[in-house]
Amino acid sequence: MFDVAVPIHGVVNIFGFDLWITNTIVVSWVVSAILLTFAIVARIKLKSFTDKPKGFQNVVEMMVGAFDGFMKSNGTPKIQWMGGWFFTLFAFLLISNIFGLLPGQRPPTADWPLPFALALTSFFFIQFSGIRHNGWGYIKRTYLSPHPVFLPVNILGEFSRPISLSFRLFGNILGGLILVSLIYGIAPVIARFAIPVALHLIFDLAFGALQAFIFTILSLTFVGLAAAES
Amino acid sequence: MYHPLAFVLAFAHIAAAIALLNGILTTIGQGNVAAKAIESIARQPEARGPITTNMFIGLAMAETSGIYGFVIAILILFVRPLIGPYLEYLTNPRFPVVQTVCELVTCLPL
Repeated sequence: MFDVAVPIHGVVNIFGFDLWITNTIVVSWVVSAILLTFAIVARIKLKSFTDKPKGFQNVVEMMVGAFDGFMKSNGTPKIQWMGGWFFTLFAFLLISNIFGLLPGQRPPTADWPLPFALALTSFFFIQFSGIRHNGWGYIKRTYLSPHPVFLPVNILGEFSRPISLSFRLFGNILGGLILVSLIYGIAPVIARFAIPVALHLIFDLAFGALQAFIFTILSLTFVGLAAAES
Repeated sequence: MYHPLAFVLAFAHIAAAIALLNGILTTIGQGNVAAKAIESIARQPEARGPITTNMFIGLAMAETSGIYGFVIAILILFVRPLIGPYLEYLTNPRFPVVQTVCELVTCLPL
């Protein structure tokens, strides 16, 4: 039977605090290691890049070019300097979401703390870009408008963004995970190779890529709105 | 006579099903978004790219309430936040009325 609870590999005691090493932590470190390895390989090979791309250079240039186009068409000119962060976010989420394709693994985004941490960084970037492009008046206009009495309501409204962002990603991935697991449970043994493959294609590959895209583009839209407000 | 927790579990499953019912309205809203987007693309085929991107943003926004319902259903089914207080009510002598009601309910011939 499928268990929704995240498996725990061990407990580390640091200065009196119990730090639980969950599956989410391990898998997100593995995803980071994959991305870092790719980045280091691309950096080493950067010296041998030529004017006529071929092979590995083609792949790297295609990815960077595609994301440059994405930033130019969806982001305002003010926030182009943040493109690297959004590319990192998208790559991390994409690899995380399709991690469930490996046998016996579950995507780390099916555990709420990881999406919430990423959404909190988005929240931080929203405030940061608003302050950087509009000065400290941004805080005043956002939180104290139309009157300082509305401060609690405005704080709730601002904090609902990371919560809804993280719940959207978490709910989609967890829903796909539960559905695929239930189908594994009820499918006859012969059909266990055919039906789940199609479901994995839909829920892990298609929805995972779609949700990573949506998380990135919603963060981009929020940051762009905060930067453009004047 | 049956176990008193059976009553709580049965109602928890019904509550999860009710929480998932908001999928009806969410789906209607998402259908409206997709229909309007397709209408716009049919009217202006050259603006396909921006319309598709904005359609996905709108779909994600409309999906939020459905996801909230799903998360609530998952919490009710797997985290079971109501069972701890219920057991406390059952065993705590400070709530004699609740205990009597629970005993009456569990004696119902269902």
